[in-house]
Amino acid sequence: MQLSLPQTIDRATLLRYLGAAGWQPDAATDALLQKAGALVLGAATPRGVWRTLPLSVLEGEAIGSDLARHLAGCDSVTFLAVTLGAEVDALLRRLEAQDIALAAAADAAASVLIESAADALEGRVRAALPAGRYLTGRYAPGYGDCPLALNDTLCLALDTVRGAGLAVTPEHLLAPRKSTTAVLGGADAPVTGARAGCAHCLLQTTCAYRKRGTTCAG
Amino acid sequence: MPDKLQTALDRSAFLFLDGAMGTELQKRGLQLGQKHELAAFFMPDTLTAIHADYAAAGADILIANTFGANPKKLAGTGYTLEETVAASLACARAAAEKTGALVALDIGPLGELLAPAGTLAFEDACAQFAQIVKAGAAGADLVFIETMTDLYELKAALLAAKENCRLPVFASMSFEARGRTFTGCTVESFAVTAAGLGADAVGINCSLGPAEILPFAKRLCRSVPAGLPVFVKPNAGLPNPDGSYDLTPQKFAEEMKDFAAIGVSMLGGCCGTGPESIRLLRQAYRGLVPAQKVPVRRSALCTPVRFVEVEGITVVGERINPTGKKRLQQALRAGDMAYACAQAVQQAEAGAEVLDVNAGLPGIDEAATLERLVKELQAVTDLPLQLDSSDPAALSRALRVYNGKPIVNSVNGEQKVLDAILPLCKKYGAAVVGLTLDENGIPKTAAGRVAVARRIVEAANRAGIPNEDIYIDCLTLTASAEQAAAGETLAALAACKRELGVRTVLGVSNISFGLPCRGYLNTAFLTMAMQAGLDLAIMNPNTPEMMAAVRAYRVLTCQDAQSAAYIAAYAGMQVQSQAVPVPAAAPAPARPGAETPAPDPLYDAVRKGLKAEAKTAAAAALAAGQAPLDLVNASLIPALDAVGEGFEKGTVFLPQLLQAATAAQSAFEAIKAALARSGAPSAGKGRIVLATVKGDIHDIGKNIVRVVLENYGYDVLDLGRDVAPEAVVDAVRRTGAPLVGLSALMTTTVPSMQATIGALRAAGLDCKVMVGGAVLTPAYAEQIGADFYARDAKASADIAKQVLGG
Repeated sequence: MQLSLPQTIDRATLLRYLGAAGWQPDAATDALLQKAGALVLGAATPRGVWRTLPLSVLEGEAIGSDLARHLAGCDSVTFLAVTLGAEVDALLRRLEAQDIALAAAADAAASVLIESAADALEGRVRAALPAGRYLTGRYAPGYGDCPLALNDTLCLALDTVRGAGLAVTPEHLLAPRKSTTAVLGGADAPVTGARAGCAHCLLQTTCAYRKRGTTCAG
Repeated sequence: MPDKLQTALDRSAFLFLDGAMGTELQKRGLQLGQKHELAAFFMPDTLTAIHADYAAAGADILIANTFGANPKKLAGTGYTLEETVAASLACARAAAEKTGALVALDIGPLGELLAPAGTLAFEDACAQFAQIVKAGAAGADLVFIETMTDLYELKAALLAAKENCRLPVFASMSFEARGRTFTGCTVESFAVTAAGLGADAVGINCSLGPAEILPFAKRLCRSVPAGLPVFVKPNAGLPNPDGSYDLTPQKFAEEMKDFAAIGVSMLGGCCGTGPESIRLLRQAYRGLVPAQKVPVRRSALCTPVRFVEVEGITVVGERINPTGKKRLQQALRAGDMAYACAQAVQQAEAGAEVLDVNAGLPGIDEAATLERLVKELQAVTDLPLQLDSSDPAALSRALRVYNGKPIVNSVNGEQKVLDAILPLCKKYGAAVVGLTLDENGIPKTAAGRVAVARRIVEAANRAGIPNEDIYIDCLTLTASAEQAAAGETLAALAACKRELGVRTVLGVSNISFGLPCRGYLNTAFLTMAMQAGLDLAIMNPNTPEMMAAVRAYRVLTCQDAQSAAYIAAYAGMQVQSQAVPVPAAAPAPARPGAETPAPDPLYDAVRKGLKAEAKTAAAAALAAGQAPLDLVNASLIPALDAVGEGFEKGTVFLPQLLQAATAAQSAFEAIKAALARSGAPSAGKGRIVLATVKGDIHDIGKNIVRVVLENYGYDVLDLGRDVAPEAVVDAVRRTGAPLVGLSALMTTTVPSMQATIGALRAAGLDCKVMVGGAVLTPAYAEQIGADFYARDAKASADIAKQVLGG
């Protein structure tokens, strides 16, 4: 399904993605970020697909202990996948050949947008939730010790190629680049899930966020 | 050929395709987790019964359950592609025999995205499709390629089908409500590309219901030749939240009736339709015959997202041609495609609508380079390309990998040239430029050139290329050498349009060769040629006065309604250009010493990240006689160092660092051009090879590093992304680069980084390796055998300085 676009790119998140959280940009940077945002919004055609399946679909699947903890107490999983579309990738490639500052700003703007598109789809999923059912937050393959290879199973179950033009490469990366997938657990009782946290993160010793006393989760 | 197939191809009666397979299988017991494509093994009777029900409902063509029978989907199932295709076709055939229906080998998307969006190479996609076609050709009556959303993948499938069987090939894409596919492909780009590649029927399926597809089907009918059949296979309306579809079979058949009058000749259903939908559809069409299609005859070139109708003057950017361009020669010799890509984007911004691409340079492999240029350029621009070569091998390779409908530049009146190149244009559906010269040279008179043109047009027509795809070049001769020739060229051009009914093209800038202030002559000649009927002007779109002539001409000939494009280009601007004497070379000013700091506009512009100012400052310094290398060492590098230090301290933020890098880059282009003109090979600080490793498509970090390293004066050979270890080894061996930079963003691609380092070591190459990317750490870098871990672009420049000096 097609997802609607926000009017603008959230500036605070954009600056955070550019490693400049809380900074008040100068006039030139402000203009650059405006331009980048407008270009990305013009090129994006966000689409998403989702599907709820019994938890048993993950049986025999290597999902890692973090995702298993996230799904504790759940009896179903909801897979969702969102992409901004191939035209955003094409825009980013063009900008990288033209102006690397604009390209980096647009790349970050697209990352902001993919998160807001995922929020929008999650909103729809929650709106369609039957009374008495509860969902955890989103958990994306690749975080913590959950392997990226879970993307293969997830995208196959959602038929993302047909539903959204989103495919998985042999190395389990999502293509188009500006795409995201997530797993939410479902249960009859309120569940919140558990964030991946930093314990199993590869970057736990070098993470730029942790150095500043925050985490990538915001 | 079976009668039904004849009917399908000659459009003499309506033919009916079947309905959905997936939804029918689910209805009849397919379990969650069971793969559709294996139905022939675990529920063969059900599968045959579905086909039989469609046949009984009146389907003339049964589409076998081979949609997902491809290597990716069958991996790990225990069934080979060959046995899956054969078993699936057998079920359809068993059902077809009862009614005499035709059986189609169904081919769907491979489930992976082709490069540049994904990592599947075009040739590999062709090979996978060829395997499917070979597995199924003997058991099928036709090949049915459907639900494609990427024109490039459709091309791979069409070529594979055409090259590996003699069956008719039907080709269908799925469009979203906006009239484009997921990848942005337009209906018209699909139409002219598929028709050009020899599809025997074209259609639209899935994604939307009949009412939504109707306007797109009309456009498809108008965009393909009158004799080419068009089919539709819509869904049963739009999906409901529970996964069902909103049209009943009755309502579906009712809505489908609107296709009878527009020229469609085959109809069926996709998701949500069943045998009853087909039965009622057939009933609704009783007594009707297909309407005549009335195609628009138009000259068109395209990429998936850009359909360029050549109607009125169209600008072809000439800058990607190494002849006389030292900087591009250097780049192509080094195997560096980034410079050509930047030229492409710049020309597009300046107003080019098509880009000429030429790789003819002594000492390089033209065929390999042209193919690579086409792949790289179509990743960064959506403008159609003019493939500029006279070498059939180079053209063949470039045509094969081009995504859309290109134009070939060129053939001429020589029979052996026509014989070698026209069949290539026909096979790949390209338009063609014909130069009015032959083995006897260029005819002096207009009449002589028209005679050559006539021969070319006849030969092209015989090869199956229609007039709207033929562009005659009456050849621009240099006015300084043959002054009277300009008139003959224009007279010939007008006569070709009038008498032959073809399009025309000229390389405009050649008129002024050897004369001063060439822009004046080029602009005047361009204007005269446009008035004589020029369609394609091959020119430098970066020359403001020539683009102004084009835009003004469009206003004065009412092609630019309300002068909207002219106003958009020039509102708020004023003209300042006039000829001024060339300044005599000034003596180089002494560099200011530390004790007498003088204003340095280049340093300031880079520090502040001002792109235009940096370029102007560099050009001014060079014009004043300053040595290019002094500029790099005394202004650029100190400015970049200052910004880099600020970044490390946290007083400068990433966007500012990158704006400074972009400003330095624009200054550096002026410097490199000056170096190339002086014959110096480069800034001479040493070579670095960069690559994003095999399997990884996230390369913005690597691209930032490239810009920064180039700004420090290093010669960077950027191999791109998804680069195989062997390609890195080759590049290092060829260039002798002492430093290699590798990037990988994801955990799953770090092993390929390790493999690349291993390959470099195994080849015994004496180079250092620096690595970077989100998931890397200093310890991880050491573990996989890298010499350096580069935290960011600034760190990579520090490492380069340590390894190469500078």
